[in-house]
Amino acid sequence: MRMSRRTFLTTSLGAAAAWWVETPTFARAADGASLIPRTTRPPNYESVRSTFTTRLTPLDRFYLRNHFDVPEVDLQTWRLQVQGLVEKPLTLALSDLERLPQATVEAVLQCSGNGRGLFVPRVPGVQWRVGAVGNATWTGARLRDVLALSRPKAQGRHLHLRGAEVPPLSTTPPFLRGIPLEKALHPDTILALKMNGGPIPPYHGSPLRLVLPGWVANDWMKWLGVVEVSADEPKGFFYETAYRFPTRPGAPGAAVPPEATAPMTKLKVKSIIGSVEDGSVLEPGVHEIVGVAFSGGAGIASVEVSFDGGKSWHRAALDNPPTRYGFRVFRYRWRSDRPGHYVVASRATDTSGATQPSEPVWNPGGYLHNAIDRVAVEMRA
Amino acid sequence: MIAGLLAAALVLGAAPSGPTAEAPPREAALADDALPDGPGRALLRERCLVCHSAEYVTQQRLTAGQWQKTVEKMRKFGANLADDEAKVLTDYLARGWPVGLPDQAPAPVKPPTGSAPLR
Repeated sequence: MRMSRRTFLTTSLGAAAAWWVETPTFARAADGASLIPRTTRPPNYESVRSTFTTRLTPLDRFYLRNHFDVPEVDLQTWRLQVQGLVEKPLTLALSDLERLPQATVEAVLQCSGNGRGLFVPRVPGVQWRVGAVGNATWTGARLRDVLALSRPKAQGRHLHLRGAEVPPLSTTPPFLRGIPLEKALHPDTILALKMNGGPIPPYHGSPLRLVLPGWVANDWMKWLGVVEVSADEPKGFFYETAYRFPTRPGAPGAAVPPEATAPMTKLKVKSIIGSVEDGSVLEPGVHEIVGVAFSGGAGIASVEVSFDGGKSWHRAALDNPPTRYGFRVFRYRWRSDRPGHYVVASRATDTSGATQPSEPVWNPGGYLHNAIDRVAVEMRA
Repeated sequence: MIAGLLAAALVLGAAPSGPTAEAPPREAALADDALPDGPGRALLRERCLVCHSAEYVTQQRLTAGQWQKTVEKMRKFGANLADDEAKVLTDYLARGWPVGLPDQAPAPVKPPTGSAPLR
Protein backbone atom coordinates (compact mmCIF):
# COMPACT_ATOMS: atom_id res chain seq x y z
CA MET A 1 0.00 0.00 0.00
CA ARG A 2 1.30 3.41 -0.83
CA MET A 3 0.05 5.79 1.80
CA SER A 4 -0.24 9.39 0.75
CA ARG A 5 2.36 11.64 2.24
CA ARG A 6 -0.20 13.78 4.01
CA THR A 7 -1.96 10.79 5.54
CA PHE A 8 1.35 9.29 6.64
CA LEU A 9 2.57 12.43 8.29
CA THR A 10 -0.73 13.42 9.85
CA THR A 11 -1.02 9.96 11.36
CA SER A 12 2.52 10.13 12.63
CA LEU A 13 2.42 13.57 14.14
CA GLY A 14 -1.07 13.80 15.49
CA ALA A 15 -3.67 16.42 14.81
CA ALA A 16 -2.12 18.99 17.12
CA ALA A 17 0.84 19.50 14.82
CA ALA A 18 -0.96 18.94 11.53
CA TRP A 19 -1.06 22.62 10.62
CA TRP A 20 2.69 22.49 10.15
CA VAL A 21 2.58 19.54 7.81
CA GLU A 22 3.44 20.33 4.23
CA THR A 23 2.63 18.37 1.12
CA PRO A 24 5.81 17.66 -0.78
CA THR A 25 5.77 16.20 -4.23
CA PHE A 26 8.18 13.48 -3.26
CA ALA A 27 7.58 10.56 -0.94
CA ARG A 28 10.00 7.74 -0.41
CA ALA A 29 10.56 5.18 2.28
CA ALA A 30 6.83 4.44 2.17
CA ASP A 31 7.65 0.91 3.28
CA GLY A 32 8.94 2.33 6.54
CA ALA A 33 12.65 1.88 5.85
CA SER A 34 13.53 5.39 6.92
CA LEU A 35 16.82 5.10 8.79
CA ILE A 36 20.29 4.33 7.45
CA PRO A 37 22.34 2.23 9.87
CA ARG A 38 25.76 3.70 10.55
CA THR A 39 26.40 1.49 13.58
CA THR A 40 24.06 -1.06 15.14
CA ARG A 41 25.66 -1.20 18.57
CA PRO A 42 25.35 1.30 20.03
CA PRO A 43 22.51 2.42 17.77
CA ASN A 44 23.52 5.21 15.40
CA TYR A 45 21.11 5.67 12.50
CA GLU A 46 20.64 8.65 10.19
CA SER A 47 17.48 9.77 8.41
CA VAL A 48 17.10 9.10 4.70
CA ARG A 49 17.30 12.25 2.58
CA SER A 50 13.59 12.20 1.69
CA THR A 51 12.87 13.00 5.37
CA PHE A 52 13.83 16.61 4.78
CA THR A 53 10.70 17.88 3.08
CA THR A 54 8.56 18.71 6.12
CA ARG A 55 8.78 21.17 8.94
CA LEU A 56 8.54 18.64 11.75
CA THR A 57 10.42 15.35 11.57
CA PRO A 58 8.19 12.36 12.40
CA LEU A 59 9.58 10.22 15.22
CA ASP A 60 9.84 7.15 13.00
CA ARG A 61 12.17 9.08 10.69
CA PHE A 62 14.19 10.83 13.39
CA TYR A 63 17.90 10.01 13.57
CA LEU A 64 19.38 8.14 16.53
CA ARG A 65 22.75 8.86 18.06
CA ASN A 66 24.13 7.00 21.08
CA HIS A 67 27.55 6.67 22.68
CA PHE A 68 26.70 3.53 24.63
CA ASP A 69 23.90 0.98 24.90
CA VAL A 70 20.47 2.49 25.49
CA PRO A 71 19.76 2.32 29.25
CA GLU A 72 16.61 0.79 30.66
CA VAL A 73 14.79 3.31 32.79
CA ASP A 74 12.02 2.78 35.37
CA LEU A 75 9.71 5.79 35.13
CA GLN A 76 8.30 5.17 38.63
CA THR A 77 11.63 5.42 40.39
CA TRP A 78 13.22 7.97 38.07
CA ARG A 79 14.52 11.08 39.82
CA LEU A 80 16.32 14.22 38.72
CA GLN A 81 18.99 15.33 41.18
CA VAL A 82 19.84 19.03 41.34
CA GLN A 83 22.99 19.40 43.39
CA GLY A 84 26.36 21.09 43.79
CA LEU A 85 26.63 24.83 44.46
CA VAL A 86 22.96 25.35 45.31
CA GLU A 87 21.23 26.60 48.46
CA LYS A 88 18.71 23.77 48.29
CA PRO A 89 19.57 20.42 46.66
CA LEU A 90 16.54 18.83 45.03
CA THR A 91 15.34 15.34 44.18
CA LEU A 92 12.49 15.61 41.69
CA ALA A 93 10.13 12.92 40.41
CA LEU A 94 8.59 13.19 36.97
CA SER A 95 5.33 14.28 38.58
CA ASP A 96 7.17 17.20 40.22
CA LEU A 97 8.41 18.34 36.83
CA GLU A 98 4.95 17.92 35.31
CA ARG A 99 3.46 20.21 37.97
CA LEU A 100 5.74 23.09 37.00
CA PRO A 101 4.61 25.48 34.21
CA GLN A 102 5.05 23.67 30.88
CA ALA A 103 6.61 25.29 27.82
CA THR A 104 6.80 24.05 24.22
CA VAL A 105 9.70 24.96 21.93
CA GLU A 106 10.20 23.90 18.32
CA ALA A 107 13.91 23.25 17.75
CA VAL A 108 16.33 21.42 15.48
CA LEU A 109 18.39 18.65 17.02
CA GLN A 110 21.58 18.11 15.03
CA CYS A 111 24.54 15.91 15.87
CA SER A 112 27.66 18.08 15.74
CA GLY A 113 29.21 15.33 13.57
CA ASN A 114 26.48 15.46 10.93
CA GLY A 115 28.36 15.54 7.61
CA ARG A 116 31.55 13.99 9.04
CA GLY A 117 31.59 11.44 6.23
CA LEU A 118 31.82 14.26 3.67
CA PHE A 119 35.10 15.77 4.92
CA VAL A 120 38.25 15.46 2.84
CA PRO A 121 40.67 14.33 4.14
CA ARG A 122 38.59 11.80 6.04
CA VAL A 123 38.41 11.78 9.83
CA PRO A 124 37.52 8.94 12.22
CA GLY A 125 34.10 8.69 13.85
CA VAL A 126 30.56 7.82 12.83
CA GLN A 127 30.46 8.61 9.12
CA TRP A 128 27.25 10.66 9.04
CA ARG A 129 26.34 12.23 5.72
CA VAL A 130 23.31 14.56 5.78
CA GLY A 131 20.76 12.85 7.99
CA ALA A 132 21.89 13.23 11.62
CA VAL A 133 19.42 16.07 12.13
CA GLY A 134 15.71 16.52 12.78
CA ASN A 135 13.18 19.09 13.95
CA ALA A 136 10.68 18.47 16.75
CA THR A 137 8.54 20.20 19.31
CA TRP A 138 9.79 19.75 22.85
CA THR A 139 7.58 20.21 25.90
CA GLY A 140 8.47 20.35 29.57
CA ALA A 141 9.48 22.55 32.48
CA ARG A 142 11.91 25.38 31.95
CA LEU A 143 15.29 24.58 33.47
CA ARG A 144 15.39 28.07 34.97
CA ASP A 145 12.22 27.34 36.96
CA VAL A 146 13.89 24.27 38.48
CA LEU A 147 17.06 26.23 39.21
CA ALA A 148 14.98 28.97 40.85
CA LEU A 149 13.70 26.36 43.33
CA SER A 150 17.26 25.20 43.99
CA ARG A 151 18.88 28.68 44.09
CA PRO A 152 22.43 28.41 42.66
CA LYS A 153 25.09 30.06 44.77
CA ALA A 154 26.92 33.13 43.47
CA GLN A 155 30.06 31.19 42.53
CA GLY A 156 28.07 28.74 40.34
CA ARG A 157 29.02 29.28 36.70
CA HIS A 158 28.49 25.93 34.94
CA LEU A 159 26.01 23.08 34.93
CA HIS A 160 27.43 19.56 34.77
CA LEU A 161 25.04 17.10 33.12
CA ARG A 162 24.84 13.34 33.56
CA GLY A 163 22.44 10.83 32.03
CA ALA A 164 21.69 7.19 32.78
CA GLU A 165 23.82 5.62 30.05
CA VAL A 166 26.63 3.39 31.27
CA PRO A 167 29.88 2.72 29.35
CA PRO A 168 30.46 -0.89 28.30
CA LEU A 169 33.64 -1.14 30.38
CA SER A 170 34.50 0.35 33.76
CA THR A 171 37.60 1.83 32.14
CA THR A 172 35.63 3.66 29.44
CA PRO A 173 35.00 7.32 30.31
CA PRO A 174 31.38 8.16 31.20
CA PHE A 175 29.44 10.49 28.93
CA LEU A 176 29.16 13.88 30.59
CA ARG A 177 28.67 17.40 29.37
CA GLY A 178 28.57 20.92 30.76
CA ILE A 179 26.86 24.16 29.78
CA PRO A 180 27.33 27.70 31.03
CA LEU A 181 24.75 28.91 33.55
CA GLU A 182 23.55 31.64 31.16
CA LYS A 183 22.33 29.03 28.65
CA ALA A 184 20.68 27.05 31.45
CA LEU A 185 18.75 30.15 32.52
CA HIS A 186 17.55 30.98 29.00
CA PRO A 187 13.73 30.82 28.87
CA ASP A 188 13.85 28.47 25.85
CA THR A 189 15.98 25.87 27.66
CA ILE A 190 13.61 23.02 28.51
CA LEU A 191 13.67 19.84 30.59
CA ALA A 192 11.64 18.01 27.98
CA LEU A 193 9.16 15.27 28.89
CA LYS A 194 7.55 15.27 25.44
CA MET A 195 8.76 15.18 21.84
CA ASN A 196 6.32 16.04 19.04
CA GLY A 197 3.52 16.00 21.58
CA GLY A 198 4.03 12.48 22.95
CA PRO A 199 6.32 10.91 25.55
CA ILE A 200 9.98 10.97 24.56
CA PRO A 201 10.84 7.51 23.15
CA PRO A 202 13.56 5.48 24.90
CA TYR A 203 16.05 6.06 22.09
CA HIS A 204 15.60 9.81 22.41
CA GLY A 205 16.18 9.92 26.16
CA SER A 206 13.00 8.85 27.96
CA PRO A 207 11.82 10.14 30.32
CA LEU A 208 13.78 13.40 30.45
CA ARG A 209 15.97 15.18 27.93
CA LEU A 210 17.63 18.56 28.13
CA VAL A 211 16.67 20.76 25.17
CA LEU A 212 19.00 23.61 24.19
CA PRO A 213 17.43 25.36 21.18
CA GLY A 214 19.98 26.61 18.68
CA TRP A 215 22.81 24.51 20.12
CA VAL A 216 24.45 21.33 18.86
CA ALA A 217 22.99 18.05 20.13
CA ASN A 218 25.90 16.86 22.25
CA ASP A 219 24.72 18.97 25.19
CA TRP A 220 21.06 17.83 24.89
CA MET A 221 21.61 15.20 27.57
CA LYS A 222 19.34 12.17 27.30
CA TRP A 223 17.99 10.16 30.27
CA LEU A 224 18.96 13.22 32.29
CA GLY A 225 19.46 12.31 35.95
CA VAL A 226 21.94 14.74 37.46
CA VAL A 227 22.31 18.49 37.12
CA GLU A 228 25.20 19.81 39.19
CA VAL A 229 25.99 23.49 39.61
CA SER A 230 29.74 24.07 39.65
CA ALA A 231 32.23 26.90 39.56
CA ASP A 232 34.21 25.12 36.86
CA GLU A 233 33.77 23.36 33.55
CA PRO A 234 33.55 19.54 33.76
CA LYS A 235 36.56 17.25 33.61
CA GLY A 236 36.69 14.15 31.45
CA PHE A 237 37.17 12.87 27.93
CA PHE A 238 33.74 13.83 26.63
CA TYR A 239 34.24 17.47 27.59
CA GLU A 240 37.98 18.14 27.56
CA THR A 241 38.88 16.10 24.46
CA ALA A 242 35.76 15.29 22.42
CA TYR A 243 33.22 17.72 20.99
CA ARG A 244 35.61 20.62 20.60
CA PHE A 245 36.19 22.83 17.58
CA PRO A 246 39.42 24.64 16.67
CA THR A 247 39.39 28.28 17.74
CA ARG A 248 41.49 29.04 14.65
CA PRO A 249 40.95 26.31 12.05
CA GLY A 250 44.00 25.45 9.97
CA ALA A 251 44.68 23.66 6.71
CA PRO A 252 42.75 20.46 5.97
CA GLY A 253 44.52 17.53 7.61
CA ALA A 254 46.52 19.67 10.03
CA ALA A 255 46.66 18.62 13.69
CA VAL A 256 45.11 20.95 16.27
CA PRO A 257 46.46 21.09 19.86
CA PRO A 258 43.76 20.70 22.57
CA GLU A 259 44.44 24.17 23.99
CA ALA A 260 43.46 25.67 20.62
CA THR A 261 39.93 24.23 20.83
CA ALA A 262 36.68 25.15 22.56
CA PRO A 263 33.33 23.40 23.15
CA MET A 264 30.83 23.87 20.34
CA THR A 265 27.65 25.80 21.05
CA LYS A 266 25.53 27.23 18.22
CA LEU A 267 24.49 25.45 15.07
CA LYS A 268 25.71 26.91 11.79
CA VAL A 269 23.31 27.93 9.03
CA LYS A 270 22.57 24.95 6.80
CA SER A 271 20.16 23.59 4.20
CA ILE A 272 19.31 20.05 3.10
CA ILE A 273 17.61 19.07 -0.14
CA GLY A 274 14.96 16.41 0.48
CA SER A 275 12.95 15.97 -2.72
CA VAL A 276 15.73 14.45 -4.82
CA GLU A 277 18.77 12.38 -3.97
CA ASP A 278 21.98 11.32 -5.66
CA GLY A 279 21.07 9.15 -8.64
CA SER A 280 17.47 10.36 -8.95
CA VAL A 281 16.23 10.13 -12.55
CA LEU A 282 13.74 12.83 -13.54
CA GLU A 283 11.64 13.33 -16.65
CA PRO A 284 12.03 16.63 -18.47
CA GLY A 285 9.48 19.16 -17.23
CA VAL A 286 8.73 20.87 -13.94
CA HIS A 287 9.95 19.50 -10.62
CA GLU A 288 9.41 21.05 -7.23
CA ILE A 289 12.71 21.05 -5.35
CA VAL A 290 11.89 20.89 -1.63
CA GLY A 291 14.19 20.97 1.38
CA VAL A 292 14.72 22.42 4.84
CA ALA A 293 16.97 25.14 6.22
CA PHE A 294 17.91 26.10 9.76
CA SER A 295 20.33 28.13 11.82
CA GLY A 296 21.49 28.53 15.43
CA GLY A 297 18.72 30.88 16.49
CA ALA A 298 18.83 33.68 13.93
CA GLY A 299 16.14 32.20 11.69
CA ILE A 300 16.38 31.75 7.93
CA ALA A 301 16.35 34.84 5.68
CA SER A 302 16.65 33.14 2.28
CA VAL A 303 17.45 29.93 0.45
CA GLU A 304 18.80 29.87 -3.08
CA VAL A 305 19.07 26.93 -5.42
CA SER A 306 21.37 26.30 -8.36
CA PHE A 307 21.37 23.79 -11.20
CA ASP A 308 24.54 24.81 -13.05
CA GLY A 309 27.35 24.24 -10.57
CA GLY A 310 26.75 27.49 -8.73
CA LYS A 311 27.08 29.81 -11.71
CA SER A 312 23.52 31.09 -11.24
CA TRP A 313 21.28 31.01 -8.15
CA HIS A 314 17.49 31.23 -7.89
CA ARG A 315 15.57 32.32 -4.81
CA ALA A 316 13.34 29.61 -3.34
CA ALA A 317 10.00 30.27 -1.62
CA LEU A 318 9.94 29.77 2.16
CA ASP A 319 6.96 28.19 3.91
CA ASN A 320 5.36 30.17 6.73
CA PRO A 321 5.34 30.81 9.58
CA PRO A 322 9.02 31.63 10.19
CA THR A 323 10.80 29.78 12.98
CA ARG A 324 13.71 30.82 15.14
CA TYR A 325 15.11 27.39 15.93
CA GLY A 326 13.21 25.00 13.66
CA PHE A 327 13.27 23.80 10.04
CA ARG A 328 12.09 26.31 7.42
CA VAL A 329 10.83 24.41 4.38
CA PHE A 330 11.94 25.85 1.03
CA ARG A 331 10.51 25.16 -2.43
CA TYR A 332 11.50 25.97 -5.97
CA ARG A 333 9.72 24.96 -9.17
CA TRP A 334 12.51 23.86 -11.47
CA ARG A 335 11.70 23.67 -15.16
CA SER A 336 14.11 21.99 -17.50
CA ASP A 337 13.45 20.31 -20.82
CA ARG A 338 17.04 19.43 -21.56
CA PRO A 339 18.12 15.86 -20.73
CA GLY A 340 21.48 15.49 -19.04
CA HIS A 341 23.25 15.38 -15.70
CA TYR A 342 22.62 18.15 -13.18
CA VAL A 343 23.85 19.05 -9.71
CA VAL A 344 21.01 20.49 -7.65
CA ALA A 345 22.50 22.76 -4.96
CA SER A 346 20.99 24.72 -2.06
CA ARG A 347 22.45 27.60 -0.07
CA ALA A 348 20.79 29.15 2.99
CA THR A 349 21.42 32.54 4.59
CA ASP A 350 20.20 33.44 8.08
CA THR A 351 18.94 36.78 9.38
CA SER A 352 22.38 37.61 10.83
CA GLY A 353 23.81 37.44 7.29
CA ALA A 354 25.66 34.15 7.76
CA THR A 355 25.55 31.99 4.64
CA GLN A 356 26.67 28.48 3.75
CA PRO A 357 30.21 28.25 2.37
CA SER A 358 31.14 26.33 -0.76
CA GLU A 359 33.44 24.07 1.26
CA PRO A 360 33.20 23.10 4.96
CA VAL A 361 35.67 24.27 7.59
CA TRP A 362 37.86 21.18 7.96
CA ASN A 363 38.56 20.11 11.53
CA PRO A 364 39.97 16.88 13.04
CA GLY A 365 36.66 15.92 14.68
CA GLY A 366 34.63 16.32 11.51
CA TYR A 367 32.22 18.70 13.23
CA LEU A 368 29.76 21.37 12.04
CA HIS A 369 29.78 20.56 8.33
CA ASN A 370 27.60 23.20 6.71
CA ALA A 371 28.81 23.51 3.13
CA ILE A 372 26.30 24.09 0.33
CA ASP A 373 24.22 20.94 -0.16
CA ARG A 374 24.64 19.22 -3.53
CA VAL A 375 22.68 16.37 -5.14
CA ALA A 376 23.60 14.81 -8.50
CA VAL A 377 20.54 13.90 -10.61
CA GLU A 378 19.89 12.90 -14.19
CA MET A 379 17.15 14.23 -16.43
CA ARG A 380 16.23 11.59 -18.96
CA ALA A 381 13.51 11.71 -21.63
CA MET B 1 45.69 -16.36 22.78
CA ILE B 2 44.14 -18.18 25.74
CA ALA B 3 45.75 -15.69 28.10
CA GLY B 4 44.30 -12.89 26.00
CA LEU B 5 40.83 -14.37 26.14
CA LEU B 6 41.07 -14.80 29.88
CA ALA B 7 42.17 -11.21 30.23
CA ALA B 8 39.26 -10.08 28.05
CA ALA B 9 36.89 -12.04 30.27
CA LEU B 10 38.37 -10.38 33.35
CA VAL B 11 37.89 -6.94 31.85
CA LEU B 12 34.30 -7.81 31.00
CA GLY B 13 33.73 -9.18 34.47
CA ALA B 14 34.85 -5.87 35.95
CA ALA B 15 32.31 -3.88 33.99
CA PRO B 16 29.34 -2.59 36.00
CA SER B 17 26.92 -3.19 33.17
CA GLY B 18 29.03 -4.92 30.61
CA PRO B 19 28.19 -6.59 27.34
CA THR B 20 27.79 -10.31 27.02
CA ALA B 21 30.87 -12.12 25.80
CA GLU B 22 29.05 -13.36 22.72
CA ALA B 23 28.48 -10.94 19.92
CA PRO B 24 24.83 -10.51 18.87
CA PRO B 25 23.87 -12.26 15.62
CA ARG B 26 24.21 -9.22 13.38
CA GLU B 27 27.75 -8.49 14.49
CA ALA B 28 28.64 -12.15 14.26
CA ALA B 29 27.38 -12.24 10.69
CA LEU B 30 29.34 -9.16 9.82
CA ALA B 31 32.43 -10.58 11.43
CA ASP B 32 32.13 -13.75 9.42
CA ASP B 33 31.16 -12.29 6.08
CA ALA B 34 32.69 -8.86 5.86
CA LEU B 35 35.94 -8.96 7.76
CA PRO B 36 38.90 -9.87 5.57
CA ASP B 37 41.16 -12.68 6.64
CA GLY B 38 44.36 -11.72 8.37
CA PRO B 39 46.29 -12.00 11.62
CA GLY B 40 44.33 -9.15 13.22
CA ARG B 41 40.84 -10.50 12.54
CA ALA B 42 40.62 -12.55 15.72
CA LEU B 43 41.80 -9.57 17.77
CA LEU B 44 39.15 -7.38 16.17
CA ARG B 45 36.43 -9.88 16.94
CA GLU B 46 37.52 -10.65 20.47
CA ARG B 47 38.77 -7.30 21.77
CA CYS B 48 36.75 -4.72 19.82
CA LEU B 49 33.38 -6.25 18.97
CA VAL B 50 32.64 -7.08 22.61
CA CYS B 51 31.79 -3.40 23.10
CA HIS B 52 30.64 -2.16 19.69
CA SER B 53 29.51 -3.41 16.32
CA ALA B 54 31.81 -3.96 13.35
CA GLU B 55 30.52 -0.95 11.41
CA TYR B 56 32.59 1.25 13.73
CA VAL B 57 35.52 -0.18 11.82
CA THR B 58 34.15 -0.99 8.38
CA GLN B 59 32.79 2.52 7.66
CA GLN B 60 36.15 4.22 8.31
CA ARG B 61 38.60 5.18 5.57
CA LEU B 62 41.75 6.16 7.42
CA THR B 63 45.50 6.47 7.09
CA ALA B 64 47.78 4.14 9.05
CA GLY B 65 48.53 7.02 11.42
CA GLN B 66 44.83 7.63 12.05
CA TRP B 67 44.29 3.92 12.70
CA GLN B 68 47.16 3.90 15.17
CA LYS B 69 45.67 6.84 17.08
CA THR B 70 42.27 5.16 17.06
CA VAL B 71 43.67 1.94 18.52
CA GLU B 72 45.53 3.91 21.20
CA LYS B 73 42.33 5.77 22.08
CA MET B 74 40.48 2.47 22.43
CA ARG B 75 43.25 1.07 24.63
CA LYS B 76 42.79 4.09 26.92
CA PHE B 77 39.06 3.29 26.94
CA GLY B 78 39.88 -0.21 28.16
CA ALA B 79 40.40 -2.34 25.04
CA ASN B 80 42.48 -5.28 26.19
CA LEU B 81 45.47 -5.19 23.82
CA ALA B 82 49.11 -5.79 24.62
CA ASP B 83 51.66 -3.71 22.70
CA ASP B 84 52.39 -6.44 20.14
CA GLU B 85 48.68 -7.17 19.69
CA ALA B 86 47.94 -3.48 19.17
CA LYS B 87 50.51 -3.42 16.37
CA VAL B 88 49.02 -6.48 14.68
CA LEU B 89 45.54 -5.00 14.96
CA THR B 90 46.63 -1.58 13.68
CA ASP B 91 48.29 -3.13 10.64
CA TYR B 92 45.17 -5.19 9.95
CA LEU B 93 42.88 -2.14 10.19
CA ALA B 94 45.16 0.01 8.05
CA ARG B 95 45.31 -2.67 5.37
CA GLY B 96 41.58 -3.44 5.48
CA TRP B 97 40.04 0.04 5.58
CA PRO B 98 42.44 2.53 3.99
CA VAL B 99 41.76 5.92 2.44
CA GLY B 100 40.39 5.41 -1.06
CA LEU B 101 38.47 2.20 -0.39
CA PRO B 102 34.96 2.73 -1.87
CA ASP B 103 32.40 3.79 0.73
CA GLN B 104 29.61 1.56 1.95
CA ALA B 105 26.00 2.46 1.16
CA PRO B 106 23.97 0.64 3.82
CA ALA B 107 20.33 0.02 2.91
CA PRO B 108 17.77 1.91 5.01
CA VAL B 109 15.94 -0.07 7.68
CA LYS B 110 12.74 0.34 9.65
CA PRO B 111 13.01 2.34 12.88
CA PRO B 112 12.79 0.69 16.29
CA THR B 113 9.47 0.42 18.05
CA GLY B 114 8.99 0.93 21.76
CA SER B 115 12.08 0.09 23.70
CA ALA B 116 12.93 -3.02 21.70
CA PRO B 117 16.65 -3.45 21.09
CA LEU B 118 17.60 -2.17 17.67
CA ARG B 119 19.52 -5.06 16.21
